[in-house]
Amino acid sequence: MARVAPLLLSVVLVGVTLRTAVAAPAPLPPPFIGAYQPQGVDEIGMWENADQSERLLAVSPLLVRDEKLTAYVRGVLCSAVGSDRCSSVRLYIIRDPNFNASMAPNGTMRVYTGLLLRMNNESELASVLGHEFGHFELRHGLGKFKSQRTTTDILAWGAVLAGIAANNGVSTNYSSIEYSVYGDFFRYSRSLEREADLLSLGYLNSGSLRPQAAANVWINLMGEAEASARMRGVKKPNFNAVAFFASHPPEAERAVYLADYADPGASLRDDGKERYREALATWLPTFLDDQIKVNDFGATEYVLDQLAVDGWTAVLLNARGDLYRRRGHPRDLVNAAEFYGEAAALDPTLAAAHRGLGLSLIKTGRASEGQVALKKYLTLNPDAQDSKMIRLMLPKEN
Amino acid sequence: MKFARLCVVVATLLLSSVALSSAGYAQEKTAVKQGFELAPNSGKRILVLRPAVSVGAQSTGGLFEPNAEWTRQAKINIQTSLEALQAKLGNTVVVAPEVEGEDARNLQEHISLFASVADAVIEFQFFVGNRLPTKKRDNKDGVFDWSLGPSVASLPGAQDADYALFIYNRDEYGSTGRKLLQAVALLGAGISVSSGVHKGYAGLVDLRTGDLLWLNADGAMGGDVREAEGSQKRVRQLLEEFPGSSIAKD
Repeated sequence: MARVAPLLLSVVLVGVTLRTAVAAPAPLPPPFIGAYQPQGVDEIGMWENADQSERLLAVSPLLVRDEKLTAYVRGVLCSAVGSDRCSSVRLYIIRDPNFNASMAPNGTMRVYTGLLLRMNNESELASVLGHEFGHFELRHGLGKFKSQRTTTDILAWGAVLAGIAANNGVSTNYSSIEYSVYGDFFRYSRSLEREADLLSLGYLNSGSLRPQAAANVWINLMGEAEASARMRGVKKPNFNAVAFFASHPPEAERAVYLADYADPGASLRDDGKERYREALATWLPTFLDDQIKVNDFGATEYVLDQLAVDGWTAVLLNARGDLYRRRGHPRDLVNAAEFYGEAAALDPTLAAAHRGLGLSLIKTGRASEGQVALKKYLTLNPDAQDSKMIRLMLPKEN
Repeated sequence: MKFARLCVVVATLLLSSVALSSAGYAQEKTAVKQGFELAPNSGKRILVLRPAVSVGAQSTGGLFEPNAEWTRQAKINIQTSLEALQAKLGNTVVVAPEVEGEDARNLQEHISLFASVADAVIEFQFFVGNRLPTKKRDNKDGVFDWSLGPSVASLPGAQDADYALFIYNRDEYGSTGRKLLQAVALLGAGISVSSGVHKGYAGLVDLRTGDLLWLNADGAMGGDVREAEGSQKRVRQLLEEFPGSSIAKD
């Protein structure tokens, strides 16, 4: 008991210092030094590497070559970080359903379509892109590379020296050195993330979007991970644990300090939700389809629920039908047919919904109704890629 | 963000400790497709694609430290040496045109495809370690059967040539720390530390069928690509035993 008390006290104290340390809104970002050129062998080498990888990226088949969408996403970044900072960025959208974005030391920003799908408004997107820009402005890539090199240098020497002085005590010592340098490395990496978070909120506070939205990104990400775990029947993840090897601060901690960094005076600003929905509308079916193919039922349903928070549209219902039909249990097909039916009722011209409806009905023993839906699909989309295959499922016309 | 990064970092850290004990493919091997012969002065045209070159240092722990100046120098040197050796290739050399847009995408796809195929040959047929049983049998029977597929015919410049030559080169010069570590490890650490990586490969592809006609892979090449003379030796090693050439084995 006597040992537990000081431990408890220190936990409480740490809690208190954490709270007081982050209570203030993030300060405004420092003046930007434009047109920075890399210095020293390491940095010049990293930039050269990043330039080469950007050349490959520019000709990659994974790139979303939509000037309008790219300009829009870039505009959101600019509205957060300001036009002088923004001019140092080349932004590329990569077709990948994962939640991710990154920024290379030379100013190449990569935005995954999975991130665009999950953001609810311009403010949320700006907070994530601002975070990546923060890494770039603070030149974290270089710091991380150097730290990685030091870590592996120590480990290499440790392994060789422990090998030479081979006895039990030495190898035990070596393995504790190993853990401590790994731990240092990952702690350093988490501290860089916190710095970038602080700067990101600094940009948002000084910009025109609502900074309070930043915390939402992490709350939603936790919700998605929970939904994914629940659907698979596994234990739900612990979002408060500081994992020894985690490269980022835990999501729960981030949601709390990001809310604290947001300027309270800016809470009534615009989120740009309507603009965001409109800009993504043409791509939404594609991004949803990519997400459904990830085969994570719980997560995808969570994402769909988020998108449908103001009501289910035909496109969302159709995607929900796809999600159920792809999992394909007999019970799923019944649900799928229902969703497709609702989608087709909302938008009778949505060919994909009639197709899904027809296929689901046929598989649930309602062939004649299904064939009606498939005929409708072919009328709406006579040149469909799969038209020949679909015709095989229809009765021969006399 | 960068959740994927975590895995990359862990993998790099693990790899660098593995690199302490494995020497990579420190061998060389050449193979020619069965029945393929290229006589000198047969009037065939060879399309030479821009070589992929990266040069840097190797840190004590085995990380690659990119060096922009060395890479720049090596690119110039290798290009110059290639031009000098062209006369010895025994056939006409066509330099690939500069391309933009769709053509550039197509070209990069094929360069990446070639790299994957070459890696597969090196991993599964050439060197002891992870060879597939079917490829071991192929080795015994003298079979060398790989292809990029007929889409190579759409490569920019392909209509003016019969074959395409792909070249890849990577150098990691051991840092002082790495060399010191290597020397100390020799004192009886029970693990061997290799210092430096100098590997590359060159391959010839039939521009009609996409078949890989010749591949030369070398895991431990000589010649310092950062210098003019060294890079001539390097390019000679990359192209040695090139069908129909007068480039002898060093």
